Amino acid sequence: MMDQHRQAFQEEARELLTELESALLELDSRPDDVDLIQRTFRALHTIKGSGSMFGYDEMSRFTHQVETAFDHVREGRLAVTADLVNITLAAGDQIRSMIEGHSADNTETKEILDKLARLVRPASAMAERAEQKAPSAEVIRKWRIGFKPSPALLLHGTNPILLFRELRDLGNLDIKVNADALPNIRQMDPESCYLEWNLTLETSQSADNIRGVFIFCEDDCELRIEADAEAQSVRNVEAPTVKKDDLIREPWTLGSWERRRDPYSVGGEKVSIRVSTEKVDSLINYVGELVVVQARLSQIASSSLASELRVVAEEVERLTAGLRDHAMSMRMFPLKNTFERFRRLVHDLTRDLGKEVEFSSEGGETELDKTVIDQLNDPFLHLIRNSMDHGIEAPEQRLAAGKPRAGQIKLSASYSGANVVISLRDDGRGLDRDAIRTRAIEKGMISSETQLSESEIFNLILMPGFSTSEQVTDISGRGVGMDVVRRNVEGLRGLLEITSTPGEGTTVTLRLPLTLAIIDGLLVRVGAAHFVVPLANVLECVELKAEDVRAAHGKCLANVRGDLVPYVRLRDYFRLPGARPDIEQIMIVETADGRCGLAVDEVLGDHQTVIKNLGRVYRHVQVISGATILGDGAVALILDPQRLVQQSIRAATKLLHHTSHELVN
Amino acid sequence: MPKVILTVDDSSSIRQLVRFTLTGAGYEVIQAVDGQDALSKLTVPVNLIVTDLNMPNLDGIELIRQIRTRPVYKGIPILMLTTESQDSKKQAGKAAGATGWIVKPFSPDQLLAVIRKVLG
Repeated sequence: MMDQHRQAFQEEARELLTELESALLELDSRPDDVDLIQRTFRALHTIKGSGSMFGYDEMSRFTHQVETAFDHVREGRLAVTADLVNITLAAGDQIRSMIEGHSADNTETKEILDKLARLVRPASAMAERAEQKAPSAEVIRKWRIGFKPSPALLLHGTNPILLFRELRDLGNLDIKVNADALPNIRQMDPESCYLEWNLTLETSQSADNIRGVFIFCEDDCELRIEADAEAQSVRNVEAPTVKKDDLIREPWTLGSWERRRDPYSVGGEKVSIRVSTEKVDSLINYVGELVVVQARLSQIASSSLASELRVVAEEVERLTAGLRDHAMSMRMFPLKNTFERFRRLVHDLTRDLGKEVEFSSEGGETELDKTVIDQLNDPFLHLIRNSMDHGIEAPEQRLAAGKPRAGQIKLSASYSGANVVISLRDDGRGLDRDAIRTRAIEKGMISSETQLSESEIFNLILMPGFSTSEQVTDISGRGVGMDVVRRNVEGLRGLLEITSTPGEGTTVTLRLPLTLAIIDGLLVRVGAAHFVVPLANVLECVELKAEDVRAAHGKCLANVRGDLVPYVRLRDYFRLPGARPDIEQIMIVETADGRCGLAVDEVLGDHQTVIKNLGRVYRHVQVISGATILGDGAVALILDPQRLVQQSIRAATKLLHHTSHELVN
Repeated sequence: MPKVILTVDDSSSIRQLVRFTLTGAGYEVIQAVDGQDALSKLTVPVNLIVTDLNMPNLDGIELIRQIRTRPVYKGIPILMLTTESQDSKKQAGKAAGATGWIVKPFSPDQLLAVIRKVLG
C-alpha cells in the first residue's frame, strides 16, 4: 500500500522537478519575473511537503533549505543571480537522485548548502532587520458578530454551543449573552430559544468563513458580522513550516461549499489521471489484436451473403478504428518536456564551452508516441552537442564575422501528415563541404574522383567513423555520434536530412512517424506471398504492362507520365517462384534516394495493421520491419521500402563496379 | 457510550459507504432503507439522523416532519443528503425541521466534518 503511494509521489516529484528546472532556466533570462519565482517556490514547497509525508526525510530537509532561499527571493530580499540558478539546478539534481532512492552525495549536498548559505546570509540578516522595523505580518481583524436565533432553533437540532466551539477554532472568541428577552418562568416555553449573543472574534479568517460556521441556521437566526474598524492588530508570522493542513487539503470547505482551487495546480491544465505505461501498453496490445480480428471479421463478412453480418462488421470496424485512435493517443506525449531538458543541456554546455548560446523552441505541444520520444533523447543530445561544439563559433569569431555575439539554437516541431517533423537549427559556421570531402577521401570512404551532390556530401557525416573536428573535445568529435543518430532515427522509421549554408548555419531535420505500434499499410501480393507496405511511403500505384517491360529492353524502368522511375521487382528481389502476370502493379514510394517503384503482382488494398516484431533471429534482416497477421490467419511481412531501395541500389552499384572492372581488365 | 446514528437511504451502496465511514469513526450505526423503515426503527434513542430525501414509501421530508412531532426526537440533529440541483428540496427539508444538509457527492471526510459540526 505504502509502496504504491510512494510510487505515485515519485512520479509527481519527477514532474515537479521538471517544472522546477524549466522555471529556473527561464528565470535565468528573466530574473525579475514574479510568476517564475512563485513557480520555483511552489515546486520546491510541494516536493518538500509531500516528501516528508512519504518518508523522504533527508530529501525534505535538504529541499527545505533550498526553499528557504527562494522564500527570501519571494520576499524581495534576495536577487535571482546566475549563481543562484546554477546552485538550485544542482540541488534539483540531488533531489532527483534522493527520490530515485540513491543515497545522497553528502559532500555534494553540503557544498550546495554552503553555497546557498553564503548567498542567503546577507538576505536573512536583512530579513531580521526588516522584521524589527516592519514585521511581515498576517492581518488579524476583530469581528463583531451578533447572533439572534429564532425561537425554533433548538427544535431544529442546532446546538449554539457547538457553533461557538467552531468559532473558537478560528481565533480568540469573546462571548456575551443577552438574556433580556427571557420571559417569566411561567410563560416560558422550555423548547424555545430566548437568548441572543454578542460575540467578538479575533481572526485572520474572512467574513465568509465566519458566516460559513452558521450555514445551517442562516434561515433560523438574525446574523450580523461586522469588522471592527479601529481595532486591527498585527501578529508576526511564524517561520514557514509545513502545516498538516497544507498537506491534507479538502477539496470542499465547510464554509463556502464551493470548489476551492488547488493552490498548487498550474492554471489552465487539464485534469488527468496517472496510469502506468504497462497498463497502456497492454491495452494497446489488446486493441492491436482486436484490430486484427476485426479485419478478419470484415473479410468474412464481405464474402458472406448475410447482409446483417455486413452491417455488424461495418459497425465493429468503425468502433475499432475509434478505439484504436484513442488508445494510441494515450501514448502520445507533448515534446515540451524533452525540449526543456535540452534547454538545460544548452545552458550547461554554454558554461563549459565558453560560448554564448540562446536556446529557443517552438511546437513543444506537438505530440509523439512515448516510445519514440524516449528514443529521441540520445540523437538530439548528439545533435545539440555537435551544434554547440562545431557549429556555433566563439563570441569573438562571431563578432568578426559580423554576427551577433550569442549564437542561436532553435528546436521546432510540427505535424506533417502522419509524420512529425522536428528540426534543429543553429546559426553557426555551417558545414564545410571541402573538409568533409577531404576527410572522407582520407578515410577511404570515397575515392578522389567520386562526384557527389551536396546532400550526398552531407550524408557522409552520417557514416560510421566520420569526424571532421580537428580536436576531439569532451563534448563531441569522437567519431561516434552522427552515425548513431542516423541509426536511431532509422530505427524509428524516420528520415534524417541535413541542410547547411556556409557562414549561416546548419539545419538537421528529422521526419518521424507518429506511432510505431500500428500502421496503415497497403496489402500486396506476389505469387502466394503477401506483403504490407506502409501507406505513408506510397505515393501512387501504376500499372506495368508486359509490352512496357519489353519496351524498356530489360531495364527496370517504368514510364510514369513521362518520367522514368526505376523499380524493384519484389518477385526477383525475394526470389519468389511463379510466373509474373501480364499486368503488374508498381507502387511508387518516396525514399531518401528519390522516387522508386516496387513491382508486385497485385495490390489488394488498404490494410490497417499492428506491427509484430520478428524476434531476435531476424533482427539483421533490414528490409523487413515486422510482420502482421492477415484476416485469414496468414502472415504478411511488413516491408521497409527505404531500406529495400537502398539495398537494391547498393547491389546494383556493386554489380556496375564489377562489370566496369571486368571491362578494364 | 458511542453515539448512535440512524442512516436512512434506499441506495445500498450509499448505506454501505455511510456505515463504513461512521463505524470507522467510532459511531454506532442503525440503518433503514426508507422513511417507513426508519420510523419503525426509532424505538431507541439516537443522537443523529442522516437521511436521503428521495425514497420510496415515505420520503425524507415527510420522515423529518414526522420525527419532529415525536417529543423524544424534537431537538436531535437531522442531516439530509441532497444533490446540488435540489435547492427547493433543501428548503422544504429545512422547513420540515432538518438541521443541515450534505451535498452529494461527498467524501467520507466531508461527511464526518458535517456530522462533527452538528454533533460536536
